[in-house]
Amino acid sequence: MRTRYIQKGAEVSEFSQIPLWRRGNRRDLIQIGIGLFVVLFVLSSYLVAVLHLLPNDPLQINLKEMMQRPDYKHVLGTDFMGRDILSRIIVGSQAYFMPGLLAIAIAISFGTLAGLVSGYNGGTIDAIISYILDLIDSIPKMVIILLAIALFRPGIYLIMLIVGLTNIPAVASLIKSKVIFLKKRNFIEAAKALGLRTRQIILKHILWHNCKTVVIIQATLGMGEAILIETSLSYLGFGVQEPVPSWGNMVAAGKDYFFRGDFYLSTAPAMAILISILGFYLLGDGLNNILEWRRKK
Amino acid sequence: MTHFISWRPILKILSRELLITILLLLGVSIIIFSILHMAPGDPLHIFINIQTQNPDEIAAIKRDLGLDRWLPLQYLSWLNNILHGNFGNSFRTGRPVFNELIGVSLYTLILTIGSMIVTLLISVPIAIFSSLRRHPVLSWGLTLLAYIFSALPVFWLGYIVIYIFTHKFNLFPFLSAGYAGTAKFNFLYFLLPIIVLGVGNGAISEIIRHLNAQLERVLSEDYIKAAKAKGASIWRHSFKEGMLIPVTTMVAAKIPFILGGAVIVEQVFNWPGMGRLAWQAALDRDYPIIMGITIFAAFFVHIGRFLQTIVYLFVDPQITAKGEEA
Amino acid sequence: MAEDILRVEDLRTYFYSFTKEAFIRAVDGVSFNIKKGEVLGIVGESGCGKSITAQSIMGLITDGPGIITGNIFLNNNGNTVNLLDGLPDYASIKKKRKAIYEISKDVLGWQKRSETLMNGIRGMVISMIFQNPKSALNPFMPIGEQIAESIMLHKAIATKKEALSFAAAWLERVQIDSPNMRLYDYPFSLSGGMCQRIMIAMSLSSEPSLLIADEPTTGLDVTIQTKIIELLKKLKEELNLTILLITHDMGVIMQLADKIAVMYGGKIVEYGLKREIMDNDSFIRHPYTIALLNSLPTIEEIRAKERLRAIKGDVPDTITLYRGCRFYDRCTLKNDRIKNKCKESEPEMIEIGTGHLMRCWLAE
Ligand SMILES: Nc1ncnc2c1ncn2[C@@H]1O[C@H](COP(=O)(O)OP(=O)(O)O)[C@@H](O)[C@H]1O
Ligand code: SF4
Ligand SMILES: [Mg+2]
Repeated sequence: MRTRYIQKGAEVSEFSQIPLWRRGNRRDLIQIGIGLFVVLFVLSSYLVAVLHLLPNDPLQINLKEMMQRPDYKHVLGTDFMGRDILSRIIVGSQAYFMPGLLAIAIAISFGTLAGLVSGYNGGTIDAIISYILDLIDSIPKMVIILLAIALFRPGIYLIMLIVGLTNIPAVASLIKSKVIFLKKRNFIEAAKALGLRTRQIILKHILWHNCKTVVIIQATLGMGEAILIETSLSYLGFGVQEPVPSWGNMVAAGKDYFFRGDFYLSTAPAMAILISILGFYLLGDGLNNILEWRRKK
Repeated sequence: MTHFISWRPILKILSRELLITILLLLGVSIIIFSILHMAPGDPLHIFINIQTQNPDEIAAIKRDLGLDRWLPLQYLSWLNNILHGNFGNSFRTGRPVFNELIGVSLYTLILTIGSMIVTLLISVPIAIFSSLRRHPVLSWGLTLLAYIFSALPVFWLGYIVIYIFTHKFNLFPFLSAGYAGTAKFNFLYFLLPIIVLGVGNGAISEIIRHLNAQLERVLSEDYIKAAKAKGASIWRHSFKEGMLIPVTTMVAAKIPFILGGAVIVEQVFNWPGMGRLAWQAALDRDYPIIMGITIFAAFFVHIGRFLQTIVYLFVDPQITAKGEEA
Repeated sequence: MAEDILRVEDLRTYFYSFTKEAFIRAVDGVSFNIKKGEVLGIVGESGCGKSITAQSIMGLITDGPGIITGNIFLNNNGNTVNLLDGLPDYASIKKKRKAIYEISKDVLGWQKRSETLMNGIRGMVISMIFQNPKSALNPFMPIGEQIAESIMLHKAIATKKEALSFAAAWLERVQIDSPNMRLYDYPFSLSGGMCQRIMIAMSLSSEPSLLIADEPTTGLDVTIQTKIIELLKKLKEELNLTILLITHDMGVIMQLADKIAVMYGGKIVEYGLKREIMDNDSFIRHPYTIALLNSLPTIEEIRAKERLRAIKGDVPDTITLYRGCRFYDRCTLKNDRIKNKCKESEPEMIEIGTGHLMRCWLAE
């Protein structure tokens, strides 16, 4: 509908017998390795928090042990109220993990659906869906979140629902371009000519083979974004409120000490943010290089 | 060069684009209007700040404002107001929203455009460098650095910069855009937030990735090989498709993202822009302000998209020739 | 005898494939020479290394890792230069317990040296036209500008206006109607045949000593193919062009070439003057050449739009190291006398007539 510049280049990965680990080069594998390590870390810290296996109570104020540097008792030291930073960082991962999954689920399910329907049908349906997606794309994510905050004071799940909604167009356009490409390559037409059962099997096979990469990659990148949004909102004071820890409000809480030259309180959670977002991004792009692999000419 | 551009298809495409943009902005206004009506409390509160609790008085005010009419009619009169620049008054200051926004949006525009330029200054050279494939290890290092930039929490980056400039160089803390304690305009203070947002907006790695992929694709096209075979510069020949179009695409696509980052950077640096105002409004539940900001932001996004179309039109002769999607 | 414009000696271009962990020997010891005013036709099925030969000469192969060795002597206005001079170590291979584990490539240094060597030669002394002319022209530039660019790069013409009028003259020469209008057209609005004419005009506008034409007619309609061949023939007469003509189409070769090199699996299997090879009295031809000639459709077949009778079998992958003749599997002429020899050892180039060489045991 809109004059979009569709950049050339093959749109689908090849059906290939070459095993995954042989497709990318060493760098992709290193990136994926780092990414998986971080994902594992985030996952295990989430589990640790859920199962109450924390090394210390994150809310326990201990004014005798304020601002301690890392030692045996407090592996990452304590903050200005003597609370254990490691425990707080671990609990902080709870602030985004499940809501982030919600955002990813919404973006992927609705995005895939919209992309499939509009790519497959074209015509009026495509125009309507494209209009709706363009509409979603019109308002910056952060602004619409702030609007929602002003009006409804929503919780983190509702905010992540909005984030998921705003991510639908990205997923949809990726899926749509794949479907259109496959249509042009006559895969889909060929499958249509077959009997109903075979057709369904083949359609499912083709679509699944070509769209699963988008789904996997978007899921990974989506978690990175969920962390970004959650920490930003907590930093702005709209997310998780003190004393419940979140990485964003921990950075914000350490601000005064930071300007006095005591960097540690803000920097520790900031590093947690940096490393986990970095991990998800590296994983997503490494997977992209490998899963969307094409034989070089 | 006596190059004649045929204007008719260009005008046709531009008018169609304009129509779509208007349709989208109308859609945005409908969304905002419905969200406002779903908001908790009496819709009356959304438009004016009233002190009275007397139901009779409230009903009278509502009648005066036409808030008892059929909803679509209300929407039309609301839209009419918006189109005349009447966004209502801010609850906090009582001043017209439009006037508040105009002053503030200029700052945000400077911040957004400036940081976009900074982002491009970082990402374009890295993309070109790694598409040369000359120093693979170094270009991988640069790409990883770009990933780290993208993952940096921008508020923390802001803290570091502020700390360095207030403590190490003994400058005063930031008061607002370009002004520090001495209340004398300082260009450095003006540039710092722009640079911080440009580095830490989180889009750098994606931009590099896109530019690099497109440039490599174009450099392996037949016509670049042919240009090389005739002794011409491959950069001259790959510039339009390999650089100009991907950069335009990315700039237009990342405007919303950078506007989002501006909310945080403006907060960190006390930059008197729309983002800070939005934060304040969200805090105070200042409905008219946040509504106005949403409309302004959508407007900015669409201006970006429109400019993108114009660039495409003048770069790629095929779009104008076909007069349709390219 | 006229002087050699180009003499290629033992040119080898290997690509390293990481997935197969072996070298693809796309060009494997190719030697030939072209004299002034001569047309050398390289013919062979697609995938046998013709384009890579041409691109190696032009220095267009930069996507490593791989190896390019040999000598390419080019007569550049009287002084001979070796285009691969000092460039043998494009890639050096590190071996560890027999397995190649790393190819360290000095691509940067190689490219620099190659660029300095080729500077002033590409487009100036050697020009090249490509298969698929539509994608070889820059889609974002009017064609007049592209030709003018070539002219301004290689001729002493400084103003764009002058270059454009020069370009228009060249368009006229390649038989394009209303050239002054066409100058401002973009490639996408022109037909394939038109684009190829423009490519020809562009590559000849700098008056090169050698024109490399890589499949100039492939992908065009049959009628347009003949027109392009006619055009090349006419220009050759007019300008006394030296052409390295690459094609998989024996018909094109028959019409244009003076000398033929038949390529198979990265090697030249038969080489000689056209009248020697195509002479009806000549009894000895390489079995592959015979197969290629047999695959030519007759006029009746073209009329009946019958499909080309392809040679049975596939082009050998050049990865496998052959002990015997590369054509062994597909050769229908091997007889019991030489069969074992064919299988066991690779034939050398054997001179069977004046300047007629062949790589086949039959010739012994
Ligand atoms: N960049 C490359 N990397 C690996 N192999 C290549 C490359 N380019 C060409 N080849 C191989 O070299 C062989 C010869 O190719 P080419 O010269 O293009 O054939 P043709 O005779 O049809 O022009 C092909 O079989 C191809 O597989
Ligand atoms: S050497 Fe033997 S197998 Fe090879 S072409 Fe000659 S006869 Fe055939
Ligand atoms: Mg070829």
